[in-house]
Amino acid sequence: MADNTVNLTIDDKAVVAPKGMNLIEAAKLVGIEIPHYCYHPKLCIAGNCRMCLVDVGMPKLGADRKPEIGSDGKMVVMFGPKLVIGCNTTVADGMVVLTKSPKVVKAREGVMEFLLINHPLDCPICDQAGECRLQEFSVDYGKAESRFVEEKVHKPKKTALNAKITLDDERCILCSRCIRFMRDVAGQDCLGFIQRGSHSTLTCYLGNEPKTNYDLNIVDICPVGALTSNDFRFQQRVWFLKQTKSICPNCATGCNTVIWSREDVVYRQTPRDNNDVNQCWMCDYGRINYKFINDPHRLTTPSVKSATLGQRVNLTWPEAIRQVVDKLRAAKRDSLAVIGSARATTEELYLLKKFSPSFAAYIPRVGTGDNFLLNTDRNPNAAGAMLTGFSSDYSVIADGIADGKIKTLIVLGEDAIVPELLAKLELLIVLDILPGKTTEAAHYILPGVTFAEKSGTFINAKNRIQRLNPAIPPLVGTKPEHLILSALLAELGGKRYATIQEVFADMTRDVPALAGLNLSKIGDSGVEVKS
Amino acid sequence: MTVPVELERHIDEIVTHYPPDKTRAATLWLCHLLQEYFGFLGDEQVLWISNKLGLQPINVWEVVTFYPMFTTKPHGKFHVKVCRTLSCELCGCKNIVAHLRKKLGVGLDENTTDGLFTISTVECLALCGTGPVMMINDETFENLTTEKVDAIIDRIRTTGRLDAQPLPMPLAAHPLEKRVLLSNITKPGYTGSLADYEREGGYTALRKALAMKPDEIVAEVKNSEIRGRGGAGFPCGLKWSFLAKGTGKPVYLVCNADESEPGTFKDRQLISYDPHLLIEGILISCHAVGAKVAYIYIRGEMPGGAKILQKAIEEARAKGYVGNGVEIYVHRGAGAYICGEETGLIESLEGKRAYPRIKPPFPAVVGLFGCPTVVNNVETLANIPHIINKGSTWFKTMGVSGSTGTRLVCVSGPVKRPGYYEFEMGKLTLRQLIFDVCGGLKDGRTLKGVIPGGSSMPVMKADQIDVPLDFESLRKAGTMAGSGGIIVLDDSVDIVGATLNVAQFYAHESCGQCTPCREGTLWMEKMLHRIERGEGRPLDVEMLYEVADNIDGKTICPLGEAAAWPVKAFVTKYREEFEKHGG
Repeated sequence: MADNTVNLTIDDKAVVAPKGMNLIEAAKLVGIEIPHYCYHPKLCIAGNCRMCLVDVGMPKLGADRKPEIGSDGKMVVMFGPKLVIGCNTTVADGMVVLTKSPKVVKAREGVMEFLLINHPLDCPICDQAGECRLQEFSVDYGKAESRFVEEKVHKPKKTALNAKITLDDERCILCSRCIRFMRDVAGQDCLGFIQRGSHSTLTCYLGNEPKTNYDLNIVDICPVGALTSNDFRFQQRVWFLKQTKSICPNCATGCNTVIWSREDVVYRQTPRDNNDVNQCWMCDYGRINYKFINDPHRLTTPSVKSATLGQRVNLTWPEAIRQVVDKLRAAKRDSLAVIGSARATTEELYLLKKFSPSFAAYIPRVGTGDNFLLNTDRNPNAAGAMLTGFSSDYSVIADGIADGKIKTLIVLGEDAIVPELLAKLELLIVLDILPGKTTEAAHYILPGVTFAEKSGTFINAKNRIQRLNPAIPPLVGTKPEHLILSALLAELGGKRYATIQEVFADMTRDVPALAGLNLSKIGDSGVEVKS
Repeated sequence: MTVPVELERHIDEIVTHYPPDKTRAATLWLCHLLQEYFGFLGDEQVLWISNKLGLQPINVWEVVTFYPMFTTKPHGKFHVKVCRTLSCELCGCKNIVAHLRKKLGVGLDENTTDGLFTISTVECLALCGTGPVMMINDETFENLTTEKVDAIIDRIRTTGRLDAQPLPMPLAAHPLEKRVLLSNITKPGYTGSLADYEREGGYTALRKALAMKPDEIVAEVKNSEIRGRGGAGFPCGLKWSFLAKGTGKPVYLVCNADESEPGTFKDRQLISYDPHLLIEGILISCHAVGAKVAYIYIRGEMPGGAKILQKAIEEARAKGYVGNGVEIYVHRGAGAYICGEETGLIESLEGKRAYPRIKPPFPAVVGLFGCPTVVNNVETLANIPHIINKGSTWFKTMGVSGSTGTRLVCVSGPVKRPGYYEFEMGKLTLRQLIFDVCGGLKDGRTLKGVIPGGSSMPVMKADQIDVPLDFESLRKAGTMAGSGGIIVLDDSVDIVGATLNVAQFYAHESCGQCTPCREGTLWMEKMLHRIERGEGRPLDVEMLYEVADNIDGKTICPLGEAAAWPVKAFVTKYREEFEKHGG
């Protein structure tokens, strides 16, 4: 829409930018980075770091109100006497922006030097190393050696901001991102600067520490190592970690995330930008709730409860599949029920449903929501469960077991039916990752994997289908559930799916809401499905 | 902690000075009042204030620690605050501090064992013509000598109390002066009361203005070509005409009485000796810009001035000038030079740390409480009644083109007759001022340099002073008229020490919000300390200049320039003195 855009030039590149956009964002459109610290696209403008100073000019207009052309045949541009900050300057028609002129570079070098003179320069022991903007820009604009020979300003180091976050005030560059986030986004006005001038110090009032479910986002947005997460501190250097795009499995919002892993271990989850879902934030509850991935009690081998020995016997996977298939063949189809978890992927649920057209339910999981990111529905995929034919009323199944109508039950990742009822079943097959009452009662245990070890999709509360990607390989002895279910179905005479794509393709034929979709269409940021 | 009923009633009244949803603005007042009563602002006081105003404790704590007048620990019963800034240093304030420390047997910011005294050094108290100066609690003592200090301290010790200090007699006019704003103050028996002011024709301009349309007043002021007297010299009428119209929001007028540019003590005189001139100027300006509420933001170190203004407002209220559609409230600062910057002032008025705002938007569009706001200096507003009474044409007969009217100038440093003067702009040179009006230098000294507009303006060397005192002439001479504070340096002055003194001021007053000023001002101070100690290294002078240059023009507000310009000028013009120190 021509009316809503302006044309400008940034470093000789023509840019068409929406009206009202600032220069940092406009430069991004053409791949130019204007370095900055305090600016954050989701926070109000502070303009304090002065790193994004750029030279801005407008064409000189002649008497005819048309741009004057100089003797060199180029448009004459009138630059302002001072540099301006890119974060608080909006695009204008005809504007000429220089982000790399000698004047700009000198200013940036000056700011960089100022930021570093009182900084402890403790990168070798700083947890931010590798993802520190101060480090990054000092490579571009810093000096190899400091000419600052005076005593540095000293401030509190390694203080507990709260139970989750450690604060090092000497590393803080006073950009105020964390203050603005806590006040304007998390809704707790609890951080501030005390003292003044070079002695200014970030702090909170004693007894009034950050206590929201979003505190850890300030660690993400801290451009330096001032705020570090106690959960991640000193666990790993970030450059050793692999990043995998994923979805938080802890509620129906489906915050887009990155899983940070090395070899078989997940070290942290951080939010990933998606304006349609979580902007660039995630809640602490979701963020921290990933430890089950590397839980030492993970189930790692298929097993059968021996009727004769009265104890559990480990099985190889082929043996387990063979035995389970035999048992299922013998079971009456109309007395078979499935309980699927709405924490399972849509693909897994789709396959599971094939075992029992009549009795299929999932277990609702409800908590307190906050009207921001944390949904009352703590299942990440209730919408997927419903679309694939699972009912939220699992009492039908409990009643069916109680009155003997249901004799065979396959449970995928849930632990909700009381042991007394489970004991009445003739055949209980459980796919799960951790031991529980249900696995204890199970005739067969088939160990599955966590969300971090598999492909698949979740459909969130707003009917957005989003993709999981495997960050780490399946724990030795386990198998992704879609492969387990697919193997059972194949042995029972169904189709054998080799890949998740094949499952998805069939699913789109059977589930009208998903018609026309495939995994690549869903992409990294998901798409909305018809409700 | 119990707050007496009487005090809480006073506090509740103060809170009504601000819009009901903006009572955070009362934070500084509440801090002052609780500190006066309890002696300090600790945890209990902070929590009490945050509860009272519905704030988070961090909001109050940020303020308490920002403003040096607030203390988190009890001081002695008598807090002795000696000005350490340039004009007072030139007059020997270091001796006064040393003498006090010896006499009371304590270091700076320590309490005497009897709990009676604490000595602190403070930044410029805007009494530069009568240095060395100090305040003890709210009382001011000028022209200090060690003997005088002994007498003051001994008297407190014997009587156990602090005597109220009378205002000094106003200075008589020099024949070369043209007194307009100061025309009343030396009239026999003139006290500055409303009755006295009216006897001299006061408030006739207000009556005249109330019969005019607001636009006519704005046009008259525009036509007078009066430029702001705070420091930047922005045309006043133009500033008024920028006010956003038809926003549906109230318009505010704020009088900037945060006079704190070192070397400047002119607004203090207007407030002390003729407060109704300012009140009338405010009332006319409110009518012109459509403001129903005006705040006078007076610096915290002028408690006497705040009382005088409060009394004048009550007198004007009794006469129906105030309170009939326009309210004027006094808002006290608490020791922060940055509040002289208009958006820093607005933030401070709103009860926050005085962090200057990024512009745009300008206060004329989004100012106090998010509303269109005009901020004018005391002297600027004091001109308004005269412009309305006698007309802009008359006003323009004074001064020169581009610098109309008169200007108050303040002279400090080693001249025979320091003080405040009023001249037509451009009709007198700096040389005439120093040698004819001020009587030349003391003790047979010779002139080394002059800072012409408050310590932030570039120094001029002794051979550069044949320049008329007006905005344009000084600009052409490579400096600025600034706030009218003229500091004279004689041949005994160590330029490195003077530069250090100035640098120390700006490092102390940097609000710390933006990087170059926060880091650069303290760096310059530390380098200058080192050079002064004789530990300068080759290239220090270049580095000092470069650091100043890296601040200059890169900051949110003009404090960056204010800190950079004097250093750049001193280093450039007196380079050999830095090299002598090894720099």
